[in-house]
Amino acid sequence: MAGRPVRRLPRIGAHSRRSRRGDVIGIAVVALLMLALPLIASSSVINVGVYALIYALAALGLSLLMGLAGQVSLGQAGFFAIGAYTQAVLVTKYEWSGLPASVLAVAVTMLAALLVGLPLLRLRGHYLALATLGFGVIVTVLATESDFLGATSGIYGITKPEMNGRTYNSPTEYYLLLVPVVLLGLWLARNIVESRIGRALGAVNDSEVAAESLGVDAFRLRVQVFVLSAAYASVAGTAFAHWLGVINPNAANFPLSVKFLLMAVLGGVGSVYGAVVGAFAVEGLDDGLRRLIPELLPGAVGEVQLIGFGILLTTIMIFLPGGLHQLWTGARRRMAGSAPEPGDDEEEIHLEPVADDVPLLAREGRPAAGTPLLEVRGLTKRFGGVTAVDDFDLTVSAGEIVALIGPNGAGKTTAFNMISGAVTPTAGEVTMAGTRVEGRKPHVFARAGATRTFQNLQIFTSATVLGNVMVGRHLRSRSGMLGAALVLPARREERAVEESARELLDLLGLGEDADRLAADLPFGRQRLVEIARALALDPDLLLLDEPMAGLSGTERRELARLLRRLRAGGMAIVLVEHDVEAVLALADRVAVLEDGVRIALGTPDEVRHDPAVVAAYLGVEPEDGAAAAVAEAGAP
Amino acid sequence: MTDLLQLLFAGLSQGAVYALVAIGFVAIFTVSGVINLAQGEFAALAGLVAISAVGSGLPLLAAVVLAVVSVALVAVIMERLVIFPVKRMTTLVSLILTLGVSTGLKALMLLVYGPNAEGLTPLTPGGFSVAGVSIRYQELWILLIAGIVSLAVYWFYERTLAGKSLRACAEQPVAARLVGISLTKASLISFLIAGTVGAIAGVLASPIFFTSWESGLTLGLKGFVAATLGGLISVRGAVLGGLLLGVLETLTAGYISTGLRDAVAFLLLIIVLVARPAGIFGRSAEARV
Amino acid sequence: MGRRTATTRTAALLAAMTLSLAACAESDDGGGGGGGGSAEETGPIKIGAVLDITGAGASLGVPERQALELLAGQLEEEGGIDGREVELIIEDNQSTEDGAAKAMNKLVNEDEVDIVLGASRTGPSLAMRPIAESTETPMISLAANQAIVEGSEWVFKTAQNDRVVIERMIDYMAEQGWSTIGLARDASGFGEGVAEMFDEIGAEQGISVVATEKFAPDATDFTAQMVNLRNAGADVNVIWGIPPAAGLAQRAYDQLGIETPVMQSHGIGNQVFLDTAGDAAEGMVAPLGRLVVAEQLPDDDPQKEIITTFIDDYTAEFGAGPSTFSGHAYDAWQLAVDALREEGTDPQAIRDHLESVTDFTGISGVFTMTPEDHAGLSKEALALVTVENGQWQLVPDQGD
Repeated sequence: MAGRPVRRLPRIGAHSRRSRRGDVIGIAVVALLMLALPLIASSSVINVGVYALIYALAALGLSLLMGLAGQVSLGQAGFFAIGAYTQAVLVTKYEWSGLPASVLAVAVTMLAALLVGLPLLRLRGHYLALATLGFGVIVTVLATESDFLGATSGIYGITKPEMNGRTYNSPTEYYLLLVPVVLLGLWLARNIVESRIGRALGAVNDSEVAAESLGVDAFRLRVQVFVLSAAYASVAGTAFAHWLGVINPNAANFPLSVKFLLMAVLGGVGSVYGAVVGAFAVEGLDDGLRRLIPELLPGAVGEVQLIGFGILLTTIMIFLPGGLHQLWTGARRRMAGSAPEPGDDEEEIHLEPVADDVPLLAREGRPAAGTPLLEVRGLTKRFGGVTAVDDFDLTVSAGEIVALIGPNGAGKTTAFNMISGAVTPTAGEVTMAGTRVEGRKPHVFARAGATRTFQNLQIFTSATVLGNVMVGRHLRSRSGMLGAALVLPARREERAVEESARELLDLLGLGEDADRLAADLPFGRQRLVEIARALALDPDLLLLDEPMAGLSGTERRELARLLRRLRAGGMAIVLVEHDVEAVLALADRVAVLEDGVRIALGTPDEVRHDPAVVAAYLGVEPEDGAAAAVAEAGAP
Repeated sequence: MTDLLQLLFAGLSQGAVYALVAIGFVAIFTVSGVINLAQGEFAALAGLVAISAVGSGLPLLAAVVLAVVSVALVAVIMERLVIFPVKRMTTLVSLILTLGVSTGLKALMLLVYGPNAEGLTPLTPGGFSVAGVSIRYQELWILLIAGIVSLAVYWFYERTLAGKSLRACAEQPVAARLVGISLTKASLISFLIAGTVGAIAGVLASPIFFTSWESGLTLGLKGFVAATLGGLISVRGAVLGGLLLGVLETLTAGYISTGLRDAVAFLLLIIVLVARPAGIFGRSAEARV
Repeated sequence: MGRRTATTRTAALLAAMTLSLAACAESDDGGGGGGGGSAEETGPIKIGAVLDITGAGASLGVPERQALELLAGQLEEEGGIDGREVELIIEDNQSTEDGAAKAMNKLVNEDEVDIVLGASRTGPSLAMRPIAESTETPMISLAANQAIVEGSEWVFKTAQNDRVVIERMIDYMAEQGWSTIGLARDASGFGEGVAEMFDEIGAEQGISVVATEKFAPDATDFTAQMVNLRNAGADVNVIWGIPPAAGLAQRAYDQLGIETPVMQSHGIGNQVFLDTAGDAAEGMVAPLGRLVVAEQLPDDDPQKEIITTFIDDYTAEFGAGPSTFSGHAYDAWQLAVDALREEGTDPQAIRDHLESVTDFTGISGVFTMTPEDHAGLSKEALALVTVENGQWQLVPDQGD
């Protein structure tokens, strides 16, 4: 066992085979423990176990939302209550039987989540958390005020479920009824986490703008996860209604949402089985503290067990932010023995020595060289009184490299951001392969066949190199949430995506690093990963924001060669670059920006001798390397 | 008309309490970006400490001072123990941490002070009636003290060097560090302010609205809504937000339905968050990328 | 690693099989005992209680718990019931309906209690009722709303039905010549259906509710409700709730300077009400159990002896007097113990015994249960009480 290379902890989005197995082992252990419980535990423990299983479903949904979409909801109990109330109404007032009622209950909750999510998910962070909290309160108030829902008393007389003539009446029976439901929930959740959707969401979490630039529609996915998370809560709600036999406005209460949050956090946010472990831990602790504290402190009444929750929440967050999942993976790593990470030394990129003009990544259906791809007209951006980019025009055709240069603050990156959809322009239009893209999200730009890299790297730090590149294949694969959940249709596609990603990595000399965490790579290679990720999209147009920055001399030469080969393959490339020398040697055409205005556009030779350009570069501090380069290059 | 005035007045005194709690949210959020979900518990704790101090024979004023000082201390300890050790404060982390503190404080209050709701002795008992509007002296105290405290906090942030530095921390963390303002110190001070203001809110509100171990939840949430209405980074906005919320709630209760009272606050919260994240009173800011 | 996992799995499997065999054996035992109609006469007798110890009903649940603990202690000193130890298991429902159902499930399924007392308030009691009925567990609620026992088979209650309370109040109103009522009621189970019942019972005397306001049991600001009551201009206003809300409402009423006479319900019979309402309570009238005015009762009152003994014991134990709520708990406990003593732990026998209770003198009144009436108290169980100088005071003219 020792000596085998051990890789990083499995995380969401980390797509080595190990991570998959990790989750499977975790789930298997949890499943086994869950099944064993009724055999070994007393009835009082099983009674606690029933609540743990019910809450585990809601916590699992929340864990998916937090782990995948990175969004905190403090209103999970609201969806729990909607599910429970719908079930209660259907069962008691319309005499539906339990199973069809629960299907409708889940559907109703998902619809509600969609309606709530569409406006709310435009919010982020604190704001979303607190808006969902408000949602929970509103559900409580509406339930309290509705006579149809029994006002404060709620709805009584929901019977215990009966199936095949068997009534699930005792805690053990109900427990055994719930275990398969929770296992199914776990299995679906795991599949989604490990799917194309899960990978894309993990990427959004790490860097939304980068994920969007690779064609991931972050908002849409967030809404999907939000709805999914509500679906889990509603299943829990229906189970709750049947077990308690009564449902009332308290089911939507804030403290219950907090409990779900605690379970998800304790188990380890995003670790699928963690929510179940967390649920058992919290419910067990709840029960235990409820008994223990009054014994330690006579006269203590009521929800004094909350003190344990409070302390637990804070200590976990400070000392064990990954929850029990972190402990578990840590223990497993120690068990496996610690082996050295594969070569961390700064290796130079070595591609096979091939001629510069051997086409790379050419594919059928790419626009013929010279076909105009990107048309930028009158692009303008004003921030307050400052005009960052003023009336910028540019046309880029297939099979050419266009460079955008200019002094610091000339507006190059702003122009890039507007073209790629990250920033909405004040005026002007951008057309990519016939699609108007300005002011729309970067994923629209990506769908039109174009993507970009970033000046300050936007690597998906929690994913492996392979995982990063696989996100790049997002638009080249199709399986959605449902397909992912059911695995079968998605599996073949997954394999194909992984294969093509590995091929691309081999091509760029990153093959050996494929299963390493991208964040562990040296800077130069991270740049290359970003480029590989962009290439995985199979774009017709590639925007590179300072791709040479931070690279060694050899790495720069290798990169230049790569770009030439891509050009030979028919790709159009636009790059912003500080290294003027490199740019003039590489580009077919060069645009020069100064104070947001395009002061020159032409072949490197024309630009080199353009007086306005020389002045612009000489006008700045003489030590400026770029100015020196222009001056030097211009006076051979 | 009398009714309207009566409701408006009740709303204003309720709103003044919200405003003070909201100032606490703003004080902490501007410095560290933390939404302190334990803010309401500061108020509840102050109320309970004061009540039990009066119960054990302390004069009212001494009890109030004791309550404010001890809660301010609790806030400072909370910052040191819970906020300070965290290196990378994300939304999730900060929410869960403060939620943990809030839960722990609640349970502690339940353990120490028991489950019953009680009211502190009013600063001046009784009341009077003007044009059919009856007014309790305590309500006047609430408005007066809340006004003074708000002005003081506002003056601190706008006019004193220390206050300006705190704001600088929030707006320009790098620049603040360059000119030697320590972020950790700023965070500590912000908790001190939040604890003090929250405690004042708690002792002012207690004679009228009563205090129990769990009254911090609603108060904290309403205070947060008020702070959000005001844009979360403005003391002026928080005060206006608090008053607006208080009045709106009482009017809803009076003219529509008492049951919808809480829904109004949160409906408003959601609408404001979605439609105008900079707050009703805030300047609309350019959306950040 | 693979091998280790395999070994672990085998071990786990073996362990699981052994345990499941053991569990089967165990459950056979249990099944035999519980399934047979005749209960075993060994081991402790278990009395479960579900009370509103925390939350909005705390001012009810806490004294009720104290009363039960006091009585359980006394019974233990006496040596239990027929030499069998009596175990009292108290659960807090946090004043919530689901908390009550959860606690009830636990008592019935896990502790397998012989009888359940509680809950303190109507909502939680209603939540427990279906569980009592379906598991055929005798239950004695301490709460007021008649809905708790309407048509019930296994559920009884000791607090005065709101129907008899309202009858008492209507009698008094008729006598005073009032015909319109402004009602501010608790928004939870305790207050539900009250307006309708006033209208129904008052119809004969031409008394009706002209305005209804609601307040949450944990509300703190009552300005809006009281302003609306003031505008309704009824002959009498009724505040129907429990302390502290009922006390705070009384204060808001007084503070707004409303001159109209005010009546409260039977939900306020404790010190918390007097404390929260303060001076504002002076002069209001409420129908309460005789407990609060024990020393003012004539010596020939049949309840006087029981009440004074209870007050003395309770005060000696807890340093403060009991509330009417502890009285409800007292009655429930005595009814339960009486049934257990006579019938043993057979649930059906206990139920039948409770249903046939006749002239059972308790704190809240003299109980006579019938298959139609599982509450057992008439309006004579209530005395009209007012507050003078911060003390409960019998209204001199009791209107009958």
